[in-house]
Formats: sequence, C-alpha cells, structure tokens
Amino acid sequence: MAEIAQDGGGKGGKKRAKKMSTKIDMTPMVDLGFLLITFFMLTTTLSKPVTMQLSMPDKTDTKETSPVKLSETLTVSPDEKKIYYYQGIPGAPDTKLEVTDYSATGIRQILFDYKKRIGTNFTIVVKPTKGAKYRNMVDFLDECSITENKRYALLEMDPLTEKMIKDSGK
Amino acid sequence: MPKVSIKRKSVSLDMTAMCDVAFLLLTFFMLTAKFRPDEAVTILPPTSVSERPVNTQTGTITISVANDGKIFMSTDNKEAQQSMLDRMANRYGVALSEKQKNNFMASEIVGYPAGAMRQVLDLSKTEVKAKGLYQGIPCDSADNQLYLWVSYAKLAAPSLSVVIKGDAESNYKVFNQVVGTLQSQNINVFQLVTGPENKPK
Repeated sequence: MAEIAQDGGGKGGKKRAKKMSTKIDMTPMVDLGFLLITFFMLTTTLSKPVTMQLSMPDKTDTKETSPVKLSETLTVSPDEKKIYYYQGIPGAPDTKLEVTDYSATGIRQILFDYKKRIGTNFTIVVKPTKGAKYRNMVDFLDECSITENKRYALLEMDPLTEKMIKDSGK
Repeated sequence: MPKVSIKRKSVSLDMTAMCDVAFLLLTFFMLTAKFRPDEAVTILPPTSVSERPVNTQTGTITISVANDGKIFMSTDNKEAQQSMLDRMANRYGVALSEKQKNNFMASEIVGYPAGAMRQVLDLSKTEVKAKGLYQGIPCDSADNQLYLWVSYAKLAAPSLSVVIKGDAESNYKVFNQVVGTLQSQNINVFQLVTGPENKPK
C-alpha cells in the first residue's frame, strides 16, 4: 500500500531532490494497536477472582439451635484424594463407612441421591481429615452449592470418625 | 459530446482516525488493567463455581495462607493499618523510627512475627523476600499474633469484612486455625477467594 514515488524516466538534466510523500503507511501500527487492545480486553475479564461466602455459627450464641435428625444428616470427610462418608453415629457397629471421589459421578451423584431421598431437611456435616488440603474443602463446599445443598456445617474432626476411617483401611 | 471519464479513486484510505481510536482504547485498557501486585508470596487459590465478586465496598482484611502454611495479613484501610502498627508496636515494646513506620504504611502485607518487625521494616520488600524474612504471622494457642493484628485492625474500622485467600495446596489445618482465631473474636462470616470455574450442567 506504500505510495511509490513516480520516477521521471531517466531524462538527463537537473537532478532534483526526490519529493517524498508525507503519507505513512499506518497499517502495521493499527494492527499492533488492535492486537494489544484484544490482549488487554481478554486479560482484564479473565483474571477476576470470585468469592465463596462461608458463614460459621456464632460461638457465643447458645440459644436458637434447631435440632437435626440423625437420619437426615450425612457426615462427610474430605481427604486429599477421596471422600469418606457415612450416616449415623460414628463408631456404632451398624454405621457403614463408604468412600468415593471428587468426580462428577462420585460425590456429586451421592449428594443428589441423598437430597432426593431425604428432602429439604438434608444436612451435611463436613469433617475434613488431617491430611486434607484447603482445596479439598473448597471443592466439597463447591459440590454442595452445585447440588444446591445449603444446610452444611463445617466441624472439627472427631476421634471416633478418625478411628473409623483408619479401621476401614480404605 | 465530451468524453465522460470515470474518476479514479485512490485505494489507500486515511487511517488516522481509526488509528486514533485504536490507541485511545489501548491506553484505556492499559490504564484500567489491574496488574497482580507483587505479593510477598504467590498464592494460587482453588477454583469454584461461585459467581460472587469480592466485596470491597466496606474495606477488607485479607488473610492469606501460603502453600507452606505461613499466614499473611493485609488491609486496604489506612486507618486500620496505622492502628495495627501503633498498638502492635506498643504491645510488644518495639520502638519504631519514623522511617520504619512509613515503610510499614507503604507495605501492603504483614507476614512476620512482631519480634522481627524492626528488622523487616528497615529493608525494602524485595530484600525482605530475598532474605526469607517473611516467616508468617504466628497463630497458635501459645502465641496468637494473628488474633491481635485482626482485632487491632477491627478496632479502628469495625466494618471491615474478612477475606480469606488460601492456597489450594495449603493444609486444611492452617485454615481451621485461622477460622478458629477469627471465630474467637466473633467474626463468623468470611469470603473465601477462589478462581472462577464453569458451572456443570
């Protein structure tokens, strides 16, 4: 697209300084400009962090606790690679500890199933194991929000559950 | 009749206006783009499907947990930062010079035990990082300095909301400690910073 200065054709005579065009080809400059715009536009929207709200119970507030039925709760222990879960009293002979994983067909399906069976009162008790990473807890809470379970409580690991996981050897 | 000759138009068009717009937009995006500030530690948060942006309206206290379990703290409220420094120095009997105080106000993160405050504040951020002086804030039952930092910040600005930014690979135990510390001063609602993730169908 650059303007080509016309040559006189080689006639002899006075040598004149060639008159250069003042117009510059701006195509590459515009190209670069739009490339950078695209880059900044994409990077600004992509790196926006989001937050997850976590509300813990008020420790000083002892009244107004709503009792939860044992048959309507599921205790879940996220570990580094797998998730243990059981229903009932930890340590009791008829309590069965089961294990699953973080995949869509694992814990998500189980949460859906329990919710379908138990209904709106379904409560999840979360007791992350000692080896759990922060990621595991966030992943699990995320599964809760995907399956639309709003009733969950984050608790400390208790020795009975810990023993049960150890004894199961899973 | 004279011959009608079709005027030949030039193929090269004037791109000045287009170029102007392009660079105007470029400048705008460059200036509004927020670069990740040079953190004392790099924290890679886990991802979640949550879509709620970080609420910074009332100001925030950010508690960061690095992947090796070190705890850092920062606030975007200058008043709270001043209060934190004064009360903390007072409590631990650390006499700070004017220069050290200014250095603290300019730094955006606290990540060292109170005892090391003078040593850290004499150096620039890159030097502190190079010397490995970011030891993290002690947060155990014997010496819970995180409790003090947070409560002093809250004292100056009670409306500050608490944001926890944990590294995905950090141990859950540390997070539990942080939450326990905050709960003991009746802070029960937290915002956990995560990266965005697509919602499954």
